[in-house]
Amino acid sequence: MTASSDSQAQDMLEAITVGIQAGDEIENVSRQTGASSAGMQGYAEIIQALQSILTPMEPRREFARQLHADLLDQQQGVVERMRQMPARVQIAAILALIAGCLLFLTRRLFGSETSPEIQEEVVASPL
Amino acid sequence: MRNPFARRRKYEALDDRELIELAKEDRQAFGLLYERYLPKIYSYVYHRTGNIHDAEDLTAKVFQRALGHIGSYVDKGLPFQAWLYRIAHNLVANWHRDQGRRKIIALDDYVAHSLRSEAPDRLTEENQEREQLMEAVRRLPEDRQQLLLLKFIEQMSNAQIGLIMGRTEGAVKSLYHRTLSALREDLGSQQEDDAVGRLGGGL
Repeated sequence: MTASSDSQAQDMLEAITVGIQAGDEIENVSRQTGASSAGMQGYAEIIQALQSILTPMEPRREFARQLHADLLDQQQGVVERMRQMPARVQIAAILALIAGCLLFLTRRLFGSETSPEIQEEVVASPL
Repeated sequence: MRNPFARRRKYEALDDRELIELAKEDRQAFGLLYERYLPKIYSYVYHRTGNIHDAEDLTAKVFQRALGHIGSYVDKGLPFQAWLYRIAHNLVANWHRDQGRRKIIALDDYVAHSLRSEAPDRLTEENQEREQLMEAVRRLPEDRQQLLLLKFIEQMSNAQIGLIMGRTEGAVKSLYHRTLSALREDLGSQQEDDAVGRLGGGL
């Protein structure tokens, strides 16, 4: 095959591919590009078959969501993540934290005062 | 901007180049790039590996590597996706080397995906033909497989493919011609083998 006929064949294959990818019928594409007369019908059939088997594949939603979360959370501390949250959420989180601390301290204080009584009650109670 | 929702809306309007610069400091900008290119990279990796498990594993590695190197990314005028495809190509090549075997294509997935709406009586013959073609594609050298995937799945032009593969537009055109010729030859010899097999079986 000479360089010029090689180049012609390449151009024709491009035209056939573009036509098939645009959704044209293989007969129309072959006629329009001259593929049938140039003995390129076999190529047109292969191109059409490739077009039908090489189709985009969508990732699973769960995978996409999880990877997104992993990438964005990677090496990011709690404080950094908190800073990215809306102000309302930040205030609510801080209030919840303070309430939690107060509850914990109250329990400890009252818990230590009441525990001997509870023990006495337990000892005094009949079986 | 502290509010991530407002920031996201702002980022969505930006082009890749602007997002890349922001992504060097802000992961949310990288998240937008991820959303833009995940389907393309996943699709590419899936067809190169042929199974969902490895496709997910390698796709995750592509974006983890991209995130790890985005800070040193230098804009050389190439589209961002060219950089991602190169990372994907290298990881898939390493994967094939590590596997030490030809890839296993999940033909059931292909059949289910591409023939969902067709009449059952046509399935067997067409499936066989498609299976043969897929096998012939799998026998091609890596660069030719990559070319076909970018051309048919991503519908890229030769110029775009050239940017990703590091070749000129003319070289891609020529490689495409050689690839189709190789496929035609391979399929032709398969049909001859089948015919000989049928004759042999009849004797």
